[in-house]
Amino acid sequence: MRPNDAASVRAMPLRSAPARPVVAAAVAAATVAIAALIAKTVQSELVMTLLTQAVITAILATGVGFLIRQNGVVSFGHAAFYGIACYTIVLCLRNGIASPELAIVLALIVPTAVAFLLGLVIVRIPGIAFSMLTLAVGQACFEFAMKARQVTGGEDGLSINLPAQIFGMPTTWFQSAHSMFVISWGILAVIVVGLWYVAESPFGLLTAAIRENEERARFIGYATTLPRVLVLALSAFVVAVAGVLFTLYNIFVSPGVLHWSLSGSALIMAIIGGTRVIWGPTLGAIVYFFAKDLAGDVTEHWQAIIGLILIAVMLVAPAGLGGALAKLWPGSKTDG
Amino acid sequence: MADACALEGIDITRSFGGFFALKGVGISVAAGEIRGVIGPNGAGKSTLIDVLSGRAERWTGSVRMFGKDISASSIQQRRRAGLARSFQRTNIFPHLTVIDQLTIAARAAELPNVEEIMAELTLTAMAHKRAAEISYGDQRRLDLALALIGRPKILLLDEPAAGLSIKESLDLAHTLKDLTARWGVTVVLVEHDMDVVFSICGRITVLHLGAVLAEGTPEEIRNVPDVVTAYLGSTT
Repeated sequence: MRPNDAASVRAMPLRSAPARPVVAAAVAAATVAIAALIAKTVQSELVMTLLTQAVITAILATGVGFLIRQNGVVSFGHAAFYGIACYTIVLCLRNGIASPELAIVLALIVPTAVAFLLGLVIVRIPGIAFSMLTLAVGQACFEFAMKARQVTGGEDGLSINLPAQIFGMPTTWFQSAHSMFVISWGILAVIVVGLWYVAESPFGLLTAAIRENEERARFIGYATTLPRVLVLALSAFVVAVAGVLFTLYNIFVSPGVLHWSLSGSALIMAIIGGTRVIWGPTLGAIVYFFAKDLAGDVTEHWQAIIGLILIAVMLVAPAGLGGALAKLWPGSKTDG
Repeated sequence: MADACALEGIDITRSFGGFFALKGVGISVAAGEIRGVIGPNGAGKSTLIDVLSGRAERWTGSVRMFGKDISASSIQQRRRAGLARSFQRTNIFPHLTVIDQLTIAARAAELPNVEEIMAELTLTAMAHKRAAEISYGDQRRLDLALALIGRPKILLLDEPAAGLSIKESLDLAHTLKDLTARWGVTVVLVEHDMDVVFSICGRITVLHLGAVLAEGTPEEIRNVPDVVTAYLGSTT
């Protein structure tokens, strides 16, 4: 070994972007404080409802974006995991299967387990075929919810009554747009920081390598299926969190939560915001909801405005708005 | 046990429809040996490496590593047992930094010798560059570095000098010879550059039309008329 080379390598950090956990946690805490300030300042229930919906959907988009970032595949069916979480709570409570607390825990576990088992079969399937399979699974869930009226209430949906307290918190917190906005934002911040940790961990680096070149990953000694399955399950878990929040906020669920158009909207948010940075889909969700609200005041064809934004982002900033902003940050790492 | 057989391919056959890429090929490589595999395009050299490394599917015969049958072992099982390979076309992780990808490879190895490998293959200066940003010659060395992490027992090299200049090829050959001798690595080297093959290989196997045409020391191979006619005569 050449002594100078060895000495210079020892002086280097092992990873190209050293972890900045304190900074990440501080930024997350600051954003929660800002969210609390917004909730205190904004009096309009309508605006707060819009913001709460945006944050819950941002969690959904973050799950979809994490799958793209780590596995390099696009899901058109993540609404299935979102909807399964919603229906798990509603069906548990309506049928007296579990307490609200246990129903929430089950609502997180069931979609994650479904994604894990499904992943064992579908993560080996590349590209567009994977996307089509997720679409098929999602639509199968939607059709089941529509047709199985005895169980799901069909198109009419199902509503629930919640007790006065859940996990020691007043249920009214979950139904008020002002408090739910802060709760959802806090959970979103925890998720973003948590996923960032995962992405920066040895597991995150391995899944990035598998995404880059699966064959070579096998040739350096790794089984590649299980890491990809775990990423899918983790993204489904994140999406399930969004489903739980949606159900607690709306105390109602209908098959719309399983529809492909919800998966598509989450995907559009993830692409607008970009998936190279974990917080990109959150930014995309904020842009999406505000564009939808502003365009909705002008025209009923607000989807066309969203479409134009999507095209503009793809042309001008293919890495998404988050990716473009991250490039301005010195020493930022937006990939891998 | 210097003469123990490190790697054996026994009666290996692989066909595509009616075309035989390999037809009953046998190869036996002693521990610590550098074995060259040469032959014209389409002779079956890369297919043989694919079979030995576990990449190929639907073939018959068997592969033994230090006497143990590994025919049914997966790619990653073979790698963890100490059988590594590099590729004819650069096969790296383009958007990961050099050190990140070597670190990942080291985590799967018993000996995480990232610093050693980077120093030996002069990759240290570019440790924090993404693989896509370094030169082709550096990418070839990175490809080799990924295979050398953990000091494998057996190394299968599929044209490691492809696309390199004459000087780069010979430098690489001498680095390889030096490293494998110090670490006691057994090497199977598929290469078109005869200067590289004849300068570092102890024995050479010549493949032609999916079968073994000849096998012997470099001097012996140079004097086999069929080899000169089929291959060497037109390339050296």
